Amino acid sequence: MRGGTEIGRRVPDCDGPTGCITCADEATPMEVLKVDAARGLALCADADGRRRTVETALVEPVAGGERLLVHAGTAIARAGVGA
Amino acid sequence: MRFVDEFRDPALGKVLAGEILGAVDPDRHHKLMEVCGGHTHSIYRYGIDDLLPDNVELVHGPGCPVCVIPLGRVDDGIAIARREEVIFTCFGDMMRVPGSERSLLEAKAAGADVRMVYSPLDALRLAKANPDRQVVFFAIGFETTAPSTALTIMRAKAEGIANFSCLCNHVTIVPPLRALLDSPDLRLDGFIGPGHVATVVGARPFEFIPADHGRPVVISGFEPLDVLQSVLMVLRQLREGRCEVENQYTRVVPYDGNRRALEVMSQVFELRPHFEWRGLGFISQSALRLADAYADFDAERRYEVPGMSVADPKACQCGEVLKGVIKPWECKVFGTACTPEHPIGTCMVSPEGACAAYYNYGRFAREKAVA
Repeated sequence: MRGGTEIGRRVPDCDGPTGCITCADEATPMEVLKVDAARGLALCADADGRRRTVETALVEPVAGGERLLVHAGTAIARAGVGA
Repeated sequence: MRFVDEFRDPALGKVLAGEILGAVDPDRHHKLMEVCGGHTHSIYRYGIDDLLPDNVELVHGPGCPVCVIPLGRVDDGIAIARREEVIFTCFGDMMRVPGSERSLLEAKAAGADVRMVYSPLDALRLAKANPDRQVVFFAIGFETTAPSTALTIMRAKAEGIANFSCLCNHVTIVPPLRALLDSPDLRLDGFIGPGHVATVVGARPFEFIPADHGRPVVISGFEPLDVLQSVLMVLRQLREGRCEVENQYTRVVPYDGNRRALEVMSQVFELRPHFEWRGLGFISQSALRLADAYADFDAERRYEVPGMSVADPKACQCGEVLKGVIKPWECKVFGTACTPEHPIGTCMVSPEGACAAYYNYGRFAREKAVA
């Protein structure tokens, strides 16, 4: 859904350089900007600087500057280089 | 782009292509299945199949979560979405998947309140913001996505958000692979394993493929060099007479997966006795539903749904494409009656569906070659 999937647009418009965050079986590396440990959430940014709130329960504890692999709004792994 | 360019380096790609040429047995035809739609997408997007020798054939597997949803489940979703009190939420691709009469997008055009979300958490936020409405999330996906839904449902229960529920269509990867391996009409020599599913379940669940079926598996990343290296690793196993599960995607995939993700899944979900897959039919214990402890959040228990099994349109050959029996361009309606703008079958909807991926990236080169 990167690039924005406005309704009815062609599929290629929904295709970003690293694949789709949520609409299929892909995951995207994001960098942690700010952690809300009490709520199990973190503000993260992808390689293009787009920000999203991410659920971090599966990879806690996380710290600012760490890279996470994010799928459907949830971090499913820590992302090594090139993940 | 930082961390990505290294895995798209054309010079290294050529080196890997050369190594593949050296590793392949020239007297054999090798048919390898990439299980995951993400790999299918990468293969067409980067032209990876053009770098492979003629006797190495990549076959697309059933790992596109949108593509495997049968018509009947879309109809169930639309039946709920048409209710006055409901805000129906789903991922963008799911909106365009045809049901037996219409898609969710067409239901929206006809007045249903259907909204696209990026995550189940977004759907939960919508429920909090609209306490006088019922928010239903149409959950799809393999084990990659299921933990996200599980966490959201746990959060809804913990916060007492009663106007949120989930129509669960989560599926599991191993049963369809078993079904494919048991299928007599498909001969495969090895597998490129799904990297992001394996991030959650680990590499261990794929051990049955070498153990029971004598086929090598390499769990793979999604960048072009990842896929090329994984092809090389499978071919080397075949050449050396080895047969095991190898992990190319070690920078992300732990061999035993993400234990916490597996725990939240087992807490929130239970296996369905059977579930219908597009193209593969009913497969035992291949999908998830909400466990009794979370019954209050189960849209199937909250609402009446048709629950019908609906046959695919006769012209559509998604089933054969999903099983890897035919290539996308061999389908009778590919690129003519069935296009990304007007999909007949699910494989043409998601960018990770084999037909859409081929339509968007592969057909021009092929048309040029044929001309």
